[in-house]
Amino acid sequence: MKVLIVEDEKTLAYEMEDFLKKAFYVCDLAHTIKSGLEKIGVNSYDYILLDLGLPDGDGLSLLPAAKKHNPDAAYVILTARGNLEDRIAGLDLGADDYLAKPFSLLELQSRMQAIARRKFNIKEELLRLGDFSIDLQKRVIHCGTEQIELSRKEFDLFSYLLLHQNRVLTRMQLSEHIWGTFADDDYDSNYIDAHIKNIRKKLNVHAPTDFLETVRGVGYRIKN
Amino acid sequence: MKLSTKLISFITGSKLAVVLLFIISLPFLVDGLVSEYTNNSLRRQQDKVIRNVKKNGIQHYLQGDDSYGSYTMLKEEYIALEPAKSDLRIDTIKTEQRVVEQDTLTYRILMHTFVVDQKSYLMEIGKTIASINQYNKPLQRIALYVLMSLIVFTLIIDLIFTRILIQPLGKIISTRLVNRKFPFRDHSPAVATSTQDFKYLDESLVLLMEQINDAFEKEREFTANASHELMTPISILQNKMENMLSDEHLPDHMAMKIVEMMKTLGRLKKISNSLLLISRIENEQFAKSATVNLKILIIEVMEEISHRLTDKNLRIDINIDRDTKLKQVNQDLLFQLFYNLINNAIKYNKENGSISITDEMRGNDYLINLQDTGIGITKEEVPFIFDRFRKTNLREQVGYGLGLAIVKSIATYHHIDIKVVSALQQGTTFTLTFRNVISAHP
Repeated sequence: MKVLIVEDEKTLAYEMEDFLKKAFYVCDLAHTIKSGLEKIGVNSYDYILLDLGLPDGDGLSLLPAAKKHNPDAAYVILTARGNLEDRIAGLDLGADDYLAKPFSLLELQSRMQAIARRKFNIKEELLRLGDFSIDLQKRVIHCGTEQIELSRKEFDLFSYLLLHQNRVLTRMQLSEHIWGTFADDDYDSNYIDAHIKNIRKKLNVHAPTDFLETVRGVGYRIKN
Repeated sequence: MKLSTKLISFITGSKLAVVLLFIISLPFLVDGLVSEYTNNSLRRQQDKVIRNVKKNGIQHYLQGDDSYGSYTMLKEEYIALEPAKSDLRIDTIKTEQRVVEQDTLTYRILMHTFVVDQKSYLMEIGKTIASINQYNKPLQRIALYVLMSLIVFTLIIDLIFTRILIQPLGKIISTRLVNRKFPFRDHSPAVATSTQDFKYLDESLVLLMEQINDAFEKEREFTANASHELMTPISILQNKMENMLSDEHLPDHMAMKIVEMMKTLGRLKKISNSLLLISRIENEQFAKSATVNLKILIIEVMEEISHRLTDKNLRIDINIDRDTKLKQVNQDLLFQLFYNLINNAIKYNKENGSISITDEMRGNDYLINLQDTGIGITKEEVPFIFDRFRKTNLREQVGYGLGLAIVKSIATYHHIDIKVVSALQQGTTFTLTFRNVISAHP
């Protein structure tokens, strides 16, 4: 998958590149609308991550031209301005998603995958984890032929850990993913722990859940 | 009272007063006028008599008699001449009674002495009061009719003119002030008027509105810029930490430190977001175009928050009887309002405590009560709980005092009234009042 990051804040662009490379994306960087359009003119991208406040204009103005050259790409708008109008205007111009800064890189990847499922119609194979098989599209978990009922939040949590498997996710990252802006800042509270406990309990009935690890002082990880 | 109503009542009142004054004073006026006229005509007659006497000689009239008298058949007028003492000098006009052929009549009498051939004579010319006053009544009536029609005529003219004169003011009020939604984006043309004051008023209003718009736009720009300036560095830090944490060679103690740093950054992010949210609400950047069913909204909030109840083993009772639809509101903001209130009720509750949410109608107003059995707020602290960064309940180190500030700004933005009743160690009740809401039992 090829990604173009149009972001004038270079440090931020490098961090995004660093992260996405590890997730096996191929990244190009552009820091202005002009250089962004040049790159879009020669290459074909799967994802274009677009910051709005660029030195030579509003990132939104790049959208129509970029869509002409790269109509199949997925466009994700990233902005720190937080205007509601920006969000509406961006989605009106055909952006696929919108992330308000500061966002978690994990969230970015999760959104990119969701777009892939939706837009590129990628049929992911059933994910296998221990004795469990997980269908992210239908949002169901099976052990053998038996279906395991997780609540909506529990499934969100589980699939987020699964998406970022082999990586430790902190309680804060997990709460921000499942509660969004309503995640409280009392990150030490054990709401995530309670959810994990429930997930373990529900899965343990069917098979061992050694893959779901607690990393002391940091958070949780699914090892596969 | 409207200016036009006031002006019309004043004009009508003043005209009525004039009419009344005229009706009262008319008899006196007419009497005065008539007596003046009578006096003048008596004087003219006196001159004529003296001219005749001088022409024809006094003997022509006296014909040797002591006196001369002549009156008309109906005794309405008479003229009398008689010799007078030589030192007598009279020249008066007065009302007196005279007996004429057994009839006692009241006359207006001119008495005048004059000298002919070195002899003094007294002349009397009389006119009965009845004949003098016979035209008073019709005269009064005609005067009254003329006056009345003049008054009615001027009244109509005045009303029409006042109406035309006041019209621009009405237009200024209707186009500039009534039903104007902030921010004032529609620019209606200047109100056409030749009245300097109205022109000034209209121009001043337009200018003021433009100034408010400018200030509003500036603040909008400021929040966007402030948001960008605050969120970009937070964004960089957060992503750097996330990447650091994913390093497989990271020692455990460093990982734990990074997690602590992320928590601190999370707090900074939350505070910045909350402050920006409040400014955006106060800057009216949220569309109020949704229709929200409060009962459904509260159930949605509960779905998001109910996992927090288990920690302290709290019970929550929701008794919302009515299906209340709020029109022209922002769903996300109302969600946030109830979320924050219920979240507080959970956060500041005691073990095994409870929360109850009930509703009631009071007249046209719809009320929602959120009652908790929490630690409560002292009387002294109640007025300040909606202030930014004012933390009550200092014993519990949770929250940074922006939750209720957000609640307040959302409530103000939606014209929702909030009342707080609290007793320390017993609990707090928040009462939300939605004005003029139509709600129905399901």
